[in-house]
Amino acid sequence: MGRAYEIGIPPPFEEAVKSMEREIMRFLMRSTGDREDAMDLFQETWIRAYRAYPTLQSEDGLRPWIYRIASNLCRNRARDRMRRGRVIANETADGAAPADNAPNQLDGGPESALHLKRAISRLPGKQGQALMMRKFAGLEYAEIGTALNCSAESARASVYQAVKKLKKLRLDE
Amino acid sequence: MKTNRTATQVKASAPIDDRVLDAMIGQTRPRIERAMKILRRPQARVGVISSPLGRLLIAESDRGLAAIHFLFISGGERTLAMLRRKFDLIENDASARRIGAEIDRVFEGDFSATARPVDLSLVESDFQRRAYTSLRKVPPGAVITYHGLAATVGQPDSQRAIGNTMASNPIPIFVPCHRVIRSDGTIGNYGGGVDNKIKLLRAEGFEVGRDLRLPALAVMGHRRTGIFCRPDCSAARRVDPAKMLIFADAKCAGHAGLRACKLCKPA
Repeated sequence: MGRAYEIGIPPPFEEAVKSMEREIMRFLMRSTGDREDAMDLFQETWIRAYRAYPTLQSEDGLRPWIYRIASNLCRNRARDRMRRGRVIANETADGAAPADNAPNQLDGGPESALHLKRAISRLPGKQGQALMMRKFAGLEYAEIGTALNCSAESARASVYQAVKKLKKLRLDE
Repeated sequence: MKTNRTATQVKASAPIDDRVLDAMIGQTRPRIERAMKILRRPQARVGVISSPLGRLLIAESDRGLAAIHFLFISGGERTLAMLRRKFDLIENDASARRIGAEIDRVFEGDFSATARPVDLSLVESDFQRRAYTSLRKVPPGAVITYHGLAATVGQPDSQRAIGNTMASNPIPIFVPCHRVIRSDGTIGNYGGGVDNKIKLLRAEGFEVGRDLRLPALAVMGHRRTGIFCRPDCSAARRVDPAKMLIFADAKCAGHAGLRACKLCKPA
């Protein structure tokens, strides 16, 4: 970095976020469970992040900040869907065909990936998001707290509750 | 233990291939590019240089010089935040050094050194923009009073507002707010420190005394008639002081294209 950096000239937006493209797309894919939705929200996340980038105070906060934008957009979309009463029946596992004719390995027992996915989608919003950020994206609790606008402790509690509920669901079935 | 097992399972479930993600990102890219064409902020090259006036933060856009900040004065973060709102910043020391060389030329007595175009994007109000634009027409070797500048903007009673405008000048030196002084002849304040105002005025030919007053050699120039007089000339006293510029000496006035008054015959 040049001399100017000591007074905090931030890197250009594209440079700063380039390395996070994949993980944000992965997060959106897991959150929405739908390819088209994920791509829509990815575009929206990028554009919102670009517009708000000048308000970001420090580079350290970039990762949780962009997760926060993405998770807010996911929440907005879920709410809009609920309002419009649209049914989202697209529950195919990533890249797998819908298993409506024969119960196959994917749609089978409580140990399967699809089952788990459904279970996560049934969790309350904050718990589901916190769980995904922690377990899939590997964020620190403090970062999740920033992204979800709560304390690190609350984020930890959300993840704990989410895991507990999943465990209970599995035991029930 | 069971908690851990569930967590492990979550982690392992349905991994999404990086190639799938890359394909999806690739598909969204043209859409993002299209949107960005409209949204994208103009670029500004930013750098830090050392100058005879101290360390300066300099920002230049394609339209012209956008900001200069005296780094020893606080508020650098604020300037930077304002720049970020209007521009995408790129670090570029070469561009800053080019402008630094022009500032050096000011101190070598080059009167055309600060002629490069300026980009007033950081200026929010119309009044301020008009003030800066008409201030740019005050040539080196001349000064104007706060009152006089207010009059050229069309609001002769707003000298206080002019004072605030000069204090928040985003491009000092090139928008020459050091050429604005008080009506009583003292040089007044400066955003980059009074010492720097004195340095700049001296470089432009003014003999600023210890009492911070302008020298007795100064002549009054009238931009409308193109004539300059001694301050005590009877003709000079009749004209509107708001339309006067104060020149360091007769030479500076002559350099700006004015002729000497035939009544008081300034040297």
